Amino acid sequence: MPILEARSLTKTFRRPDKASGFKGALKHLAQRKYKNYTAVDGIDLTVEAGESVAYVGPNGAGKSTTVKLLTGILKPTEGTVRVMGRDPHTERIANAHDIGVLFGQRTQLWWDLPVEESLKLLKHMYGVSDADYKARIAKFDELLDLGEFMPALARTLSLGQRMRADLACALIHDPKMVYLDEPTIGLDISVKDRLRAFLRELVDDGTTLLLTSHDLADIEEVCERIVVIDKGKVAYDGPIAQLKAHYITTKAVNLHLEGPADVPALTEKFPDFAWAAGASPSEVTVTYESARFSTAEVLGSLTARLSPRDLSLSEPSIEDVIRRLYAGELTQ
Amino acid sequence: MADLLAPRRPAGARHVGAVYTRAIVAQIRSITEYPADFWVMASAGVMWNVLQFAFLTVLFATVPDVAGWRYHEMLMLSGLFTVASGSTALLCDGVWSTGQMVLKGEIDYRITRPAPVVVQVATTHIGMQGFGEVAFGLVMLAYGWIGAGLGLAPVPIGLLAIACAVTIECALVTLFCAVNFWIKGPMSNFAFMLIDLQSNAMVLPLGLFPIGVRLLTMFVIPVAFVNFVPVAVLTGHLSAAWLVGTPLAALACVLAALGVYRLGLRSYDSSGH
Repeated sequence: MPILEARSLTKTFRRPDKASGFKGALKHLAQRKYKNYTAVDGIDLTVEAGESVAYVGPNGAGKSTTVKLLTGILKPTEGTVRVMGRDPHTERIANAHDIGVLFGQRTQLWWDLPVEESLKLLKHMYGVSDADYKARIAKFDELLDLGEFMPALARTLSLGQRMRADLACALIHDPKMVYLDEPTIGLDISVKDRLRAFLRELVDDGTTLLLTSHDLADIEEVCERIVVIDKGKVAYDGPIAQLKAHYITTKAVNLHLEGPADVPALTEKFPDFAWAAGASPSEVTVTYESARFSTAEVLGSLTARLSPRDLSLSEPSIEDVIRRLYAGELTQ
Repeated sequence: MADLLAPRRPAGARHVGAVYTRAIVAQIRSITEYPADFWVMASAGVMWNVLQFAFLTVLFATVPDVAGWRYHEMLMLSGLFTVASGSTALLCDGVWSTGQMVLKGEIDYRITRPAPVVVQVATTHIGMQGFGEVAFGLVMLAYGWIGAGLGLAPVPIGLLAIACAVTIECALVTLFCAVNFWIKGPMSNFAFMLIDLQSNAMVLPLGLFPIGVRLLTMFVIPVAFVNFVPVAVLTGHLSAAWLVGTPLAALACVLAALGVYRLGLRSYDSSGH
């Protein structure tokens, strides 16, 4: 039985349909018109216990709305959601014990209270025993360095500290299913690394994770499966490794030549490769299909015939693939 | 998987009470870290009500009564209202932020936690001016009580009146703040209007107003049960039978507030879709 199951999940919002300016506002007062906007459009999603799923898409694709539907914050216009067999909207309290949520753009800390007080309030709200609370705080402290700012008021924390404290809040009751919406937004590299390491540990411990992020490094480092949505619909759903294997079919070599690179001449000389000018006149990038040519074969040919001063290999990243999925250039 | 499907107990009344108490106590503890803020705000709460006290004292220096109500009875009327309105700042000040939370999508987290949303919102912060208001309201009430010659016998009725007044006031403020689920805006204008109506009109004897206003304040928006009805019963302006209406009004207001807040949550559509 899956831990999370959404069928034909749809959410439509009603928005005022009015002309711009004061005149439009006045007209809308007298003659109210609305139009529907579908943020999530018939999404089917099944997540098994222990899976780590990246839920990605361009801005406005419906990621956050989906998370709000899955967590019971919003009621679906159509379709169903079941988290451990429960409807998260109508069985809100029971569902709350089993889920942990983090919205990177908002905090769940009590603004005027020390971090420690917020965590204690959540401890009591979730009915966490003293022993479990102590053990979890010790673990969070070890992995997230909470100790340094536990006595600080929430409103005095830096963004990185706030995010770490929020993560502890989301996990204090050891939830089975965790939703993280942009957990690394605005963080510096070192804090991001620390958070990602923590999330990897969480997944290794068997927690089911649904992660939305625009930072694809979060996804590659933490998740095994990726669901790409666009305009409220699923554009891709499968293992990240399969996405790479399926769509990353080319490799590239960056060459730094002794003299200026003549791209048309090089194209004529090596017609099986695609050539593009590099950052400087003497730099050039050659792309080849990895299924047709081995890297050793390509490098051998290039070094023998061009004697480059320097060269480096590059593989298209998952970011390129997802960018092409967003652009509609690729389909599953 | 069996562990995953183990049933969890929904939040019971005792759990809700414990969550509420802990949140309020935590807020009070945090206030003690800023004693200067506390004294400034508490003094502001006192100063505002000193004006009401001064107004009544000056008024009754020139007139013997207002619609049959004497100075000390009027002080009780003002005092009980001040205790009730000051208590809302201490017990449910967070509900004033409902509009802002709806606009910013800050109700989201509260929906994902195992406690009633209204309890979580109400305990978001407390208004320190409430300490001053409640203290000064109690002083006015006690001074009026002694001056009106009520003695110790009706003290239990007085305590019941205070408990009901606080309950009705908290419930009505919550109900009017919940309007912001539908009428979007950062300010709880309807709740402000309620307090304005009470601080201007409900500190006067209800007999001064037309029958329509009397009916409205007793049976539609029962603010008369906050201070007028109990004080009128205690001072003999109304029969004791009216006292039954006070806890009933309190119960009705609580149910209405919870119902409206729940309805509001149903229409909540967060922010940033």
